Amino acid sequence: MVGIFDLAPVIILLPFISFLTALAIGNRLPKGGALTGITATGGSLLIAIATAVAVSGGRVYTATIYTWASGLDVVNLTFGVLIDPLSAMMLVIVTLVSFLVHIFSLGYMNDEGEVGLPRYYAGLGLFSASMLGFVVADNLLMAFMFFELVGLCSYLLIGFWFREPGPPSAAKKAFLVTRFGDYFFLIGVVAVFATFGTAAFSGSGSFPALAEAALLGEAAESVRTFGFEPQLWFTIIGLLILGGVVGKSAQFPLHTWLPDAMEGPTPVSALIHAATMVAAGVYLVARMYGFYALSPTALAVIAFFGGFTALVAATMGVVKREIKQVLAYSTISQYGYIMLGLGGGGYVAATFHLMTHAFFKALLFLGAGSVIIAMHHTEDMWEMGGLKKKLPVTYYTFVTGSLALAGIIPFAGFWSKDEVLYETLLHGLDGNTILLAAYAMGLIAVFFTGFYTFRMVFLTFHGNPRSETAREPENVGMNIKIPLTILGILAATTGFLNMTPVAKLTGLHIEFLHKWLEHGFTGLTVEHYGELLHDVAGYGATGIELSPILPGAVSLGLALAGFLLAYQLYNVPEPVAHTDRLGSLKTMVYNNYYQDEYQVWIATGFTQPLARVASKLDQGVIDGVVNGVSGVSLFAGSRVRRIQTGIVSNYAALLTLGLTALLVGLGLMGGWFV
Amino acid sequence: MLTPQYYLVLSAAVFCTGLFGILTRRNALLFLMSVELMLNAANINLIAFSYLWGNITGQTFGLFVMALAAAEVAIGIGIILVLYRNFDNVDVTDATTMRW
Repeated sequence: MVGIFDLAPVIILLPFISFLTALAIGNRLPKGGALTGITATGGSLLIAIATAVAVSGGRVYTATIYTWASGLDVVNLTFGVLIDPLSAMMLVIVTLVSFLVHIFSLGYMNDEGEVGLPRYYAGLGLFSASMLGFVVADNLLMAFMFFELVGLCSYLLIGFWFREPGPPSAAKKAFLVTRFGDYFFLIGVVAVFATFGTAAFSGSGSFPALAEAALLGEAAESVRTFGFEPQLWFTIIGLLILGGVVGKSAQFPLHTWLPDAMEGPTPVSALIHAATMVAAGVYLVARMYGFYALSPTALAVIAFFGGFTALVAATMGVVKREIKQVLAYSTISQYGYIMLGLGGGGYVAATFHLMTHAFFKALLFLGAGSVIIAMHHTEDMWEMGGLKKKLPVTYYTFVTGSLALAGIIPFAGFWSKDEVLYETLLHGLDGNTILLAAYAMGLIAVFFTGFYTFRMVFLTFHGNPRSETAREPENVGMNIKIPLTILGILAATTGFLNMTPVAKLTGLHIEFLHKWLEHGFTGLTVEHYGELLHDVAGYGATGIELSPILPGAVSLGLALAGFLLAYQLYNVPEPVAHTDRLGSLKTMVYNNYYQDEYQVWIATGFTQPLARVASKLDQGVIDGVVNGVSGVSLFAGSRVRRIQTGIVSNYAALLTLGLTALLVGLGLMGGWFV
Repeated sequence: MLTPQYYLVLSAAVFCTGLFGILTRRNALLFLMSVELMLNAANINLIAFSYLWGNITGQTFGLFVMALAAAEVAIGIGIILVLYRNFDNVDVTDATTMRW
């Protein structure tokens, strides 16, 4: 009998088939391949839900599907499937968002008369397939391969409108910046193989388990640390792999590609930000959390950069003019929170925020897409205003998503963000100052989040229309309203899955996500991570008890303060650009703290001269030696060849002379003349 | 009976005549003739030693070499004809295009 887990590869194959179909015969399909894409992702969604149901029954699954290179002794390179609560949850999120994005694309791309639709749907299909492959990957190398495929697809889709000047350049930037991070990831993968001889995520022979055994001093001869202390070496490996995470999840300082990626079609932005590309980074940390939990240093780095990114990106979101730019910076900021949660020891909290963020950010992007259709592809919020009455469905769903993003009780974002901050604070109070600093930055970012979110809402939907198109916006169809409604309901309600503060107060066991992540493979469960954090990283060592009420109230208060400030400043008929009062500060923030400038300077001012010197060395010294050697041969040859005169008599004379010399020589040696 | 020394001296004389012709002449036809002389010097040697040892094999070889020489002359004359067609004379020092 075929179990549901045997169908797991089908989840990946269906979007892949949709990709192949759209590529091969997309021009002859109705809607340019959209319907096959919807069918495929819908099918994947059904299987993913069935898989999640099976997992909720306490079953897990892992299998090696294909060994594509078998080593001489231990190293085997394989493709395999790993279905546990974490990956099952992520499968549902990715397939659901991908499914809704496909439906939304009917309205955003097909109805707007775009050309090149088969290319678009092929890209979406491959994007979904690679992300799903990444989610179910059972070893680090397979994860890396699909990680790269995800990066490739983002390049293809961001640059979809390649005839305009902006998108190709943004696509190249996204590709190169994330590739810079992936470079470190690749070294990390090689280091994992060299150290442990395996890259498997689960089981007693997996690299997190081997690393744990090595740290606890249990004999593990197969672990080679190349003369480093195991702790230090594991930190180095963890930070190398983190390079890929920082690039993909758009964390400081590699976040610069993400705002530019807004050049792509809006449904693609929704897919990138909510479920695929950007989620891949933090999912990788969650996937190998058993490894990161062994290194307090790596955890502190993750938490600090997460908190820093959350704050910096939130401040940049305050001054932006375009609706999608605001959302882009909110994504960077929210992924900062997820990283903060992971580094702060809140594995469940971070996973929770990953899930709620997927829903409300997909909702916000699709809502922005709906606004952009209505505004005939104008994205500047200062051209909008007063869209509330004209686009009721979009307005109410967008406000739901905004409430979730700002973290207003009882919407999804409040519960997850609050839990992330609470866990970080709890572990920071043990005397971990880095965590406390990261917590403080995350807390300040809550205020900015509330402010920029509702600045966006008020500018877009409230007040008087500020342009001709805003007075007469275009209507949007059902294929846009349905995904918005589904996501709106999810954004409002998914927070109830894990209401930790309520559970702590009432004593009810309603932390469903926590319970969901409790079972699974030995070594991949919440309890195990908790033990590791406690024993190795020293989180919670002093046993401080902290009521979740006060931190929750503080962050809610800050979010409300941000909301009220935005309400005061921007909920007026004719809002003005209050951020102009910030003067040169605004200029600096509007230019993203000159991050792009210094990165471009690194490329042109440092790397390029260095490359030029290296090129000189190569062409001058190395090529010089090679050319010199060949030059000697050439010169000698050009002289020696002159004995070939072409005159037969000369040859005959030489022959005779040679024979005579030979005979005389032989005679002298043989003593004929004595 | 004549001792083989006489034959060998004759052979050496014929060989040297041929060699002298090759080294000093420029006419391709004379070249060909000189080569034939050298070939026949070798033939004389073969016959002389065959005569010395009373073995008929050397004489057989002599016949073979004559047949070979005939074939060689046919080719040689062909080459000289082509030489004449390309350079309008048969001077070997003129045909120097097959070099560096």
